[in-house]
Amino acid sequence: MEIIKTDSLEKIYSDNGVPVHALRGIDLSIQKGEYIVFAGPSGSGKTTLLNLIGALDKPTKGKVFYEGKDISQKSKKALSDFRLNNLGFIFQAYNLIPVLSALENIEFSMMLKGVEQKIRNERAFSLMKDLEIEELAHKKPNEMSGGQQQRVAVARAIINDPTVVLADEPTANLDSKTGGLLLDLMEKMNEDKKITFIFSSHDKQVIERGKRLLMLKDGLIEK
Amino acid sequence: MILKLAWRNIWRNSRRSIIALSSISVGVFAILLSDGLNTGMIEQILSNQISSSVSHIQIHNKGYNDNKVIQSIIPEPAKVEQTIKKNPEVKSFSKRVIAFGLLSSASSSTGMFIYGVDHKDEPQVSSIKDAVIEGEYLMGNDKEIVVGKKLSEKLGVGIGDKVVAMSNTPDGAIGSDVYRIVGIYATASSEFDKVNVFINIKAAQKLLEIGNDFHEFALILNDIKKLEVAKDEINRILSEGKYEVLTYRDLLPSLILQIDLYKESMWIINLIVGLALIFGIINTMLMSVFERINELGVLMSIGMKNRKIFSMIVSEALILGVIGTLVGLLIGAAVLIPLSNTGIDFSWFAAGLESWGVGSIVYPSFMIENLITTIILIPFITVIGAMYPALKAIRLEPVSAIRYV
Repeated sequence: MEIIKTDSLEKIYSDNGVPVHALRGIDLSIQKGEYIVFAGPSGSGKTTLLNLIGALDKPTKGKVFYEGKDISQKSKKALSDFRLNNLGFIFQAYNLIPVLSALENIEFSMMLKGVEQKIRNERAFSLMKDLEIEELAHKKPNEMSGGQQQRVAVARAIINDPTVVLADEPTANLDSKTGGLLLDLMEKMNEDKKITFIFSSHDKQVIERGKRLLMLKDGLIEK
Repeated sequence: MILKLAWRNIWRNSRRSIIALSSISVGVFAILLSDGLNTGMIEQILSNQISSSVSHIQIHNKGYNDNKVIQSIIPEPAKVEQTIKKNPEVKSFSKRVIAFGLLSSASSSTGMFIYGVDHKDEPQVSSIKDAVIEGEYLMGNDKEIVVGKKLSEKLGVGIGDKVVAMSNTPDGAIGSDVYRIVGIYATASSEFDKVNVFINIKAAQKLLEIGNDFHEFALILNDIKKLEVAKDEINRILSEGKYEVLTYRDLLPSLILQIDLYKESMWIINLIVGLALIFGIINTMLMSVFERINELGVLMSIGMKNRKIFSMIVSEALILGVIGTLVGLLIGAAVLIPLSNTGIDFSWFAAGLESWGVGSIVYPSFMIENLITTIILIPFITVIGAMYPALKAIRLEPVSAIRYV
C-alpha cells in the first residue's frame, strides 16, 4: 500500500537573496512498512526531502501525498495535527525536552493527543520495558548517555503508534556500536509493528542496513 | 503537563527568574508602601477632622452650614434632643455654641472660632480633652478657656494668663469677656490649633447674649457604617424643613473628593509600576524563548499546537507574576502590618504633615479594593508582557527552528 508519494517536488531556498535549489523535482513512492534510507553528500537535499515528507516545510513546487491526500497546502494547524497523529520524529541531536524525565518525554506526545494520565503512564512504562530502558524512566536527558537519549527519542517517536517515523541522521552523534544497537531497535519496530522508517543519513552502517536506498545528488534522486 | 513544563522552564535559568521575581516583588511592595502611607494619611486626616470637631453627624438650623451667623440657632432643641436620644445608632452627642471672634492677649490679637461646649458631653464626641498637653480641660467654670498650642504661641500666652474674647451678638453689638487659660491643646492639625478655642457653653451663651440657645448638635455613632441610616432616620423625624442633618461626608466634601480621587489614582500608580515591570518581563521571556528555539522547533515537529506553545510561555510569565505578587504581598505584610500598629515617625518633616492635619506619625493602612487591584493587575501585566515573546515563538517555522544555532 502506497503511503507517501511525491510529485515533482521542488524546494528553493534563499541564501542571502541567492536562490538555492535544494530539490529539483523529486518523484517518489513509499509503501507502508518500508525501511528506506535517503543517502548522499552534504547539500544533496536528503534532509530537505525528509522535512517535506514530514510536513515540517512546504515545497516551492510539486506536491506531497499522504495516503493519497495532498498535504503540501494544508494550514499550519492542520499540519501540526497531521504530524501528531501520523508521524514520529527522531533527530540527530536527540532533542529531548531537557526539563522532563525520560518517562515524561515519552508521555509528552501522548499528552498532546489528550491521552489520560493513567493510560499514558502505563503505555510509556510498557514501551520502555520493551526497549529495555525502564531504568532511565526518572532520569533527565543530561543524566543519560547519547545512546540512552536516542533510545528514549525512539520511544517518544513511536509511542503514539505512528505510521511513519522520520529519522534525520539518528546515529550521527553515536559511536558505531551504540548506533548499531539503535538500528537493531528500529529494525525490530519496523518488523514487529510494521512502522515505516525513513532515514536521512550518510552513516555507512545506516546505508548498508537500509532495505531500500535512495541516493540523492544536487537535489535529484540518482538511483 | 503544560503547567508542569512551564514551572520547570522557569527554573532552568533560576538566576534570571529570581531577578524577574525580585523586580515584580519590589514593584508590588512599592505599590503597597505607597498605598499604605497614602491611605494611612488620608484616613488619619479624616479621623482627626472627625474627632477634633466635625463628628459623624451635625444637626443645625436649616442653612447654618452655608451661612454661619450667630442668629441661626437650633429651633426647638428639646425636640431634636429627644430624637437623638431615641436613635439607637447614636452613641453620644454634644451641644455647641459656635461663633467667630477676636481673641486678644496683652501683646497680640487674632481671629478665632469660639466653641462653647459642655465640659462633660463634649469629650464624648471630640478628642480635644485628650489633646490637652498643658494644664487641663474645661471643668465647667465660667472663665475657663482652652486654646491651641499654635494660638498660644501666637498670642504669647500660657497657662493662667488672661485673654479677652470678643464677638458680635445677635443684635449687632459687641460682646466681650475675660477668660483665663486653663489648658493648651495640640491636635494633629496645627491649622486647627491656630484658630479654635473652647469655653464652657454657658459662658459662650453669655458672651453672645443668646440665652440658652445654641447652634449645633454634634453626634458620634456606634457604627460609622450606619451613617446614612442614622441620618435618614433623624431626617425622617425632623421633617419640617427647619433643620439640616449633615454627615461628615457632607461637611468635608473636598476631603471626601480627595479620598475618591486617590482611590481612582491607585490605578495609575499600579499602571506606572506595571509599565516598568512589563519591559522586564518582555526581556526575560524573549531571552527564554530565544534560548530554546531548537526545543520549540522539536515541540512543533512532534505536533504541539501553537495554542499550547503560546499557553506554555504565557503560563511561565503568569507563574512569575503570581509568585512575584505573593512574595511582594508577604514582604509588604511583614513590613507594613507591624508599622500599622507602631506607625512611621515622620517628625523630620512633621510641620508639613501637621499643617495637613496628619500628625508626625503615619500609620499605614490599606483599602481592600486597592489590594485586590494590585493582586489582579500585576499578574495580568506579566501575562501582557509575555504576549510578544509568545507570539514570536509561535511564528517560528519548525524546520528553521530545529536548525537554529
